[in-house]
Amino acid sequence: MRRLLTALALAIVGAVMLAGLAGLPRPGDPAAPVHTHVAAHIVAHGVEDTGSRNLVTAVLLAYRAYDTFGEVVVIFAALAAVMVVLAPAAAPPPGKTAPPPSPAPAVAPSPVVGFVIRLLAPFIAAFAALVLWHGEALPGGGFQAGVILGALLVLLSVVMGRGLEQPLVPAAAARWLQAAGPLAFAAAMLIGLAGAGAVLGLPAEPAWGRHAVLLLLELGIGLGGAAIILGLYLQMRGH
Amino acid sequence: MTAVWHAIVVALALFGAAFFLAGTLGLLRLPDFYTRAHAVSKCDTVGAGSILLALALYVAPQPEALKILLLLLLVLLSSPTSCHALAHAAHHTGLEPREPRAGEPS
Repeated sequence: MRRLLTALALAIVGAVMLAGLAGLPRPGDPAAPVHTHVAAHIVAHGVEDTGSRNLVTAVLLAYRAYDTFGEVVVIFAALAAVMVVLAPAAAPPPGKTAPPPSPAPAVAPSPVVGFVIRLLAPFIAAFAALVLWHGEALPGGGFQAGVILGALLVLLSVVMGRGLEQPLVPAAAARWLQAAGPLAFAAAMLIGLAGAGAVLGLPAEPAWGRHAVLLLLELGIGLGGAAIILGLYLQMRGH
Repeated sequence: MTAVWHAIVVALALFGAAFFLAGTLGLLRLPDFYTRAHAVSKCDTVGAGSILLALALYVAPQPEALKILLLLLLVLLSSPTSCHALAHAAHHTGLEPREPRAGEPS
């Protein structure tokens, strides 16, 4: 009886979903509603509205900047959560003696890996900068560049044996860099309020102002993402 | 002349594909970590190397060939290094290579 009811419920729900699917426009149909309203407006006016030749950047950092702001805050919150969860175990409460330092890792660093990573590091860094800079005008952008730069920082930390005691990025700078994404958005909001009268609006004058705001956001997302990836690695590596 | 050129390209690509096949078989069939890592690293160096070389020759007079050669250089540097890092870590954390069983050719 229960099986019969389950099968019946599945059939009814499935039929409704299939009927809904049948009503959808064909994939790629240029007359589909999704291509005739918002997307058409963005394609027609994106470059002139935002000053960015990359329509993906125009959507990500201008039309839907609130959405991207939310994503940046989510990434920042992830690092904060990891720090809150892992930090008490790392720092002993006052009064108690610190536990004896754990023995050095059994794996001696390989000179081969260290050499190749040092050899490739400048190229990886240059690639990250290229991806970041391209994002304002061409496909690419802060998130991708941040991941590349963050991976490079993690690789260098592993090869050079830098843990929390001796991080590659000094702690004082790392704290600000980890918040660079939300901070850049905060700055862009103030600039938007002052220059365009709307939060996250792009100022129309001067002409380079819009590029500067977009580049500021890309930089904040990229550097912030890299610092957060390094921070996550360091927290999980422990002392 | 073009026919000879294309024949070289096809031969290189097939050679690379054969190495990919052998490497994949090795990954699936070989008995322990070290032998599998050995097999897979052949895919990345010889396999991808000769296929990229074939592509570079195919587009040769154009500047894209130079980009593909750079990519080849990157692959030749990074892939054996990552394989070495894996094997190094496995060896130093005490993973023993599999000993041949009695009666097995070593």
